[in-house]
Amino acid sequence: MENSLKGEQIVQELLPRKFKTSGRIWVGILVAICLVGVYAYYRQLRYGLIVTNMRDYVSWGIYISNFVFFVAISLVGSLITAVFRLAGVKWGAPLTRIAEMIAVGAIIFASIIIIVDMGSPERFYNLFLYGRIQSPIMWDVIVITTYFFISLLLLYYPLLPDIKILLRFKEKSGPGLHKFYSFLGSFWKGDHKQYLLSKKAINVLCIAIIPVAFTIHTVTSWLFATTYRPGWDSTNFGAYFIAGAFLVGAGSVVVAMYIFRTWYHLDKYITVEHFDKMGRVLVLLCLLYLYFNVNEFLTPFFKMKESEAGYLNDLFSGSFAPIFWFAVLTGIVLPIIILLFKAGRKPLPMFIVGIMVVVGAWFKRYLIVTPTLLHPFMPMHDVPKMYTHYFPSWEEWAISMASLAGAMLVITILCRIFPIIPIQETLDEHHETAK
Amino acid sequence: MEPENNSRRDFLLTGLVAAGLTVAGCNSKKDPFEAGAEGVAASGKKVKLLSVDGEVIEVDEAFLKPVPHLPEVSNAEARVGIPGKKFVMVIDLSRCKNLKKCQSACNMAHDLNPGHNWIKVNPMQGAEHTAPYWEPTTCMHCDEPPCVKVCPVDATFKRQDGIVLIDSDRCIGCRFCMAACPYSTRVFNWGEPDLPAAVASQPYSAETSIPQKKGTVGKCDFCADMTRMGMLPHCVSACPNGTFFFGDLNEDSVTNGADTYRFSDLIKDKAGYRLMEDLGTKPSVYYLPPAGRNFPFESGLENDKTQNS
Amino acid sequence: MNTMKLLNKIVAGSIAVMLLISGNKGFSQGAEKASLSITLSYYEVNNQLPHISALVKTKVDGRFKPAGGIPLKLFLNKDSAGTVIGKVVTNENGQAFAFIPPSLKNEWKSSKTHTFLASFDGDKRYESAKADLTVAKAKIEISTADKTITAKVFQLTDTTWVPVKGVDVKFGVRRLGADLPVNETPTFTTDSTGQASADFKRDSIPGDAKGNIVLVAKVEDNEQFGNIAVEKTVPWGAKFVPVNTFDERTLFATRSKAPIWLIVVSSGIILAVWITLILLVQNIFRIKKLGQETE
Repeated sequence: MENSLKGEQIVQELLPRKFKTSGRIWVGILVAICLVGVYAYYRQLRYGLIVTNMRDYVSWGIYISNFVFFVAISLVGSLITAVFRLAGVKWGAPLTRIAEMIAVGAIIFASIIIIVDMGSPERFYNLFLYGRIQSPIMWDVIVITTYFFISLLLLYYPLLPDIKILLRFKEKSGPGLHKFYSFLGSFWKGDHKQYLLSKKAINVLCIAIIPVAFTIHTVTSWLFATTYRPGWDSTNFGAYFIAGAFLVGAGSVVVAMYIFRTWYHLDKYITVEHFDKMGRVLVLLCLLYLYFNVNEFLTPFFKMKESEAGYLNDLFSGSFAPIFWFAVLTGIVLPIIILLFKAGRKPLPMFIVGIMVVVGAWFKRYLIVTPTLLHPFMPMHDVPKMYTHYFPSWEEWAISMASLAGAMLVITILCRIFPIIPIQETLDEHHETAK
Repeated sequence: MEPENNSRRDFLLTGLVAAGLTVAGCNSKKDPFEAGAEGVAASGKKVKLLSVDGEVIEVDEAFLKPVPHLPEVSNAEARVGIPGKKFVMVIDLSRCKNLKKCQSACNMAHDLNPGHNWIKVNPMQGAEHTAPYWEPTTCMHCDEPPCVKVCPVDATFKRQDGIVLIDSDRCIGCRFCMAACPYSTRVFNWGEPDLPAAVASQPYSAETSIPQKKGTVGKCDFCADMTRMGMLPHCVSACPNGTFFFGDLNEDSVTNGADTYRFSDLIKDKAGYRLMEDLGTKPSVYYLPPAGRNFPFESGLENDKTQNS
Repeated sequence: MNTMKLLNKIVAGSIAVMLLISGNKGFSQGAEKASLSITLSYYEVNNQLPHISALVKTKVDGRFKPAGGIPLKLFLNKDSAGTVIGKVVTNENGQAFAFIPPSLKNEWKSSKTHTFLASFDGDKRYESAKADLTVAKAKIEISTADKTITAKVFQLTDTTWVPVKGVDVKFGVRRLGADLPVNETPTFTTDSTGQASADFKRDSIPGDAKGNIVLVAKVEDNEQFGNIAVEKTVPWGAKFVPVNTFDERTLFATRSKAPIWLIVVSSGIILAVWITLILLVQNIFRIKKLGQETE
């Protein structure tokens, strides 16, 4: 069907567009949520972490859950762009920019939320002055910086040819944005030499990002697995985290695909077939994650060690059971069932499944952090009563929601500035199929 | 007789004050039986005092007992610790009836806010049909401390005398150490600690752990300032039942103030053990099992209600 | 006089901090003033510097509790301006300490017994209180042979030192915070020659690098003499050189002591990745240069 399209029409359809009223309302809502979060953070800076409901036992709460969630989502950049590319998956091409935008948005807020979680953020520089390479936090700092940098490069390189196109539409983009485009890529002429250099760079990036992506999430899992706590003391943790990360990342891409497709009427570029194929990928990832979950929970359940029994019972049948089974059902089991049917891989059901996967994953991250901390080795004794349970305060909710809104805002702004679907690549593909 | 002569001269030279008089100039003595034992260095400040014989003598302030006037310990010194020492604690569970005097003395000595107990006294019961007992817990000052392993900025550190301390001027408040500690010994200053202005304005000292600061971690410090002066930690002297014993493993001796035992004999005779030995943290705190206990478990229940009801 | 002031500063200063903490506590709620009890003790070690310790307690709910923050005036022999030992303030444990200032040299030498006086003037919370303690001048001599320690207790009568019978003596090895008894018997009593002996049964107790340990013979809380102790160093301990992992490269060491393997592996990975990234950034500038050349 793409044969009928003319090149210029493709360009016109894929150019970034100004926000309409709905877009402005959307941005307005996100900004409002962020502002509430900023106010909550101001309170936290002023009074300290006392405004949260974290206490000595639950010393990590939804900030850390959120951090793990963001790191997980950011892995999608490496999945869609690098893994697909190296595996020769051609149909993924229109999704690469979406994936990279999500990755950049998520990784920015992963770093921000970890600073928010610090009790003395004004001493952040101590990490550079006195950093100890023995500490997994140090590893995390290094690898997040690296991954952020690679993600930016991986967003930037494939943008160059598109920027050349964007520069042609000075009228449409306005003087400010035009200036920004010329700053980014006015030097790109698209000749053979430049093309070769760029292609080589993208190949190197695609290879480099995979181990770094694995490292970022494995190291994040080690923040937990290097401790003795029941539920964290697991050799399975790195792989378990990565499997979960690919799943939630793919889920978020599906959600974004659907939204962009509907909003910008990109039906011709993000096709039903794309959804079907992403559905197959998603179900594979769900099965993989299910496998790791069984691994993670069945063997300790079978043994029921004294130190882990309280934690496991709390998850399976205790106070965390509703969230646990909700996360397992919505995040893993139901998606598998739905996606096994072809009808389940149509755009709208896929969109719903994507949301289920993302929401389930968020609660899963909550369950990774909190229940373990409520089951320490020593009894919770000689402490104020409120230390023995945890429900986030409004400040924590506000800041966490603001970080989610912030990540979405970054993605929204990126898709306002840059084409969501790589224009040049689509044109090239169009020419090839036309031949 | 030569050796006899020698020991007679030693007799004259030993004793803290005497040593202070004669060796006051050498402040780098490592010999634990010379002046400067317990890491005390001459301060250079002399005071004139009267001797037993009514003679006026000059003494360095740092060697005055029982209240030596020590120069302030620098951060670098506090990080290294006292050479030749290896502090150790023994907690005799058969003597504890949950009076929590240790806790209140500790809280007062370190200006801790309510709820920030560095010492906790837990009711323990191994299994359904085993007998309950009270178990006071401090920081275990592990020889392979998991909390120190994970600290990203060297804010918590292990000293050569075995004590694990916190530099609250450096702590970034990431709370990784709290997650890493299997003994749940660390507490966090979630808000601004409620301290008298005179205390809050002091420069922080890792050895006294005063003043506690907002957004940093705190925990039992084995009263490093007291041990530097050769005195016992506050919990040890506060317990009326002599539950806590403290000493130097290198001297093979522990005391609760009233009774002093050879550490190795005590551990052997009473079958001492450490908590969660299987984790490989190698704690510096030993426990004596609650056998032949002095008080019934129930006698501690009433006192437990103030904080745990 | 200067020395005395300095001394007071020493004692009071080290207590001042604790006072700030405990100062607010212990207010009695009723308008009635509580009464204080003061106990004085006298200490001397190795016949060198004597010091006095005061312990102040007050009755709270029928029980004696230490009273902190109580200012005391201490005198020697009589309550007069010329015989002031010092002014001290009790710490959180109700204790205060004072040494004897040089200004009392003549007073000190004038008699063979000393009387120490302590007085508290009274304040809003407590009634005034007084205490005194009289000790006779005494000394211990210590000798050792064949792992037996002998102590001889003497008292000053007129001009001569005479042995004292029936004094309880303790023998110990100096350890951190306390003395470890040399055997199972807690105390020994002097005979008519003023002597008491104990067998040393702490074989292989760690000493210093040469095996030296410090023995102590002491008279504690004696009504006549107060607290007297004498030390002697003997080579009866085990040679002990502490071994320490402090300077080793471990995962729990300081940043400068990270394990070599960790430094090599981590810096290897970091360098490999970041050199690649720097090259990729450089690549952008190469592309840029190419683009500008074609213009």
